[in-house]
Amino acid sequence: MKKGVLVFCFNTEFYRYDKIAAKTIPLIKKNLGLPVTVITNYDTFKLLPPLGWVDYRLIENQTGNMINGKPWHNLDRHRAYELSPYDKTLLVDIDYFCYTGNLQTLFDSDHEIMLHDKVYDLTGKGSYDFRNNSAIPMVWATLVYFKKCEYSRAVFEMVRYVKEHYPYFCNLYRIDFGNFRNDYAFAIALQQLNGLTSFPVIPTKLATLPASAKVKSADEQRLIWEMEDKFGVVDTDVHVIDKGVAYV
Amino acid sequence: MDVSKLKQISDRSYDVALAKQNALEKAKSRLLVAHDGHLFQADAETINLIKNLSEDRQEFVILDVNDNPALIKDATTFLDLLKSKNQEALNSYHQTYQQLSKIR
Repeated sequence: MKKGVLVFCFNTEFYRYDKIAAKTIPLIKKNLGLPVTVITNYDTFKLLPPLGWVDYRLIENQTGNMINGKPWHNLDRHRAYELSPYDKTLLVDIDYFCYTGNLQTLFDSDHEIMLHDKVYDLTGKGSYDFRNNSAIPMVWATLVYFKKCEYSRAVFEMVRYVKEHYPYFCNLYRIDFGNFRNDYAFAIALQQLNGLTSFPVIPTKLATLPASAKVKSADEQRLIWEMEDKFGVVDTDVHVIDKGVAYV
Repeated sequence: MDVSKLKQISDRSYDVALAKQNALEKAKSRLLVAHDGHLFQADAETINLIKNLSEDRQEFVILDVNDNPALIKDATTFLDLLKSKNQEALNSYHQTYQQLSKIR
């Protein structure tokens, strides 16, 4: 069975995701020891530095979604199933810093698709309590582990369907966020396809540094962040929201 | 002692507590193990359950982290895996904890 990691990487006029990829992809290769496929567009591809043995797939990404008044190119995530060349895929956000091999364990499970449903704010501020922002518990699409199978294919198809009818689903589930979020699209898809019952999740917490924590440095061993004159060191897998990480 | 000194102590205590909490979360994330297609936490509860059940039976069924039933055929190998993963994660946490305890 072919196993590998899939990442989406599209620059915007505000953020250089190619520079973030230059930091995170070597970490994935080193610590997970798995092949990596990057889904990107031609403009971003031209700016990506040499990253060794990496498989690139160029697509024309969909645009139009916004976050905090800036473009957010997250509308192609549902295509991960068709674009992945692997039988077992770990779909990872480009701003996920993989400092351990812990995620390898997921590839040894029989589950068809899994995401995190719990997040852990490393700054201790508990920034991610969205319980009152929707009528459906959110999952985190930062990491999506899936096997090529009928059920997983259906989940990604359902995510596409939710995306195409997002205002309706936002209304149905009373989601406060008007912009499209894969987190909710996956939560809705998984809930619907499980007959409105619970579904398997990645049984750990997604360690996250919120945007208010500014990354001061990030090397092969660790990442250092600062917030309100306090510093922290991270040497575990972490989702970094601060896009300034591209320039440290 | 002036108030600024008290604030300093309070800030340092908070920083140490946060670092300890982060180290504990890191240890917990390392406890995940896969066995025969199922995921388990290599925590005290799982280790004790396996040890207990294996005392008087060859095969038995337990629930994995997602509440799916898993048939355990080779408890000895599984127990070894759980114990080594548990101690690997907790030893690392212990070292970090010792270092942080010296800060105050």
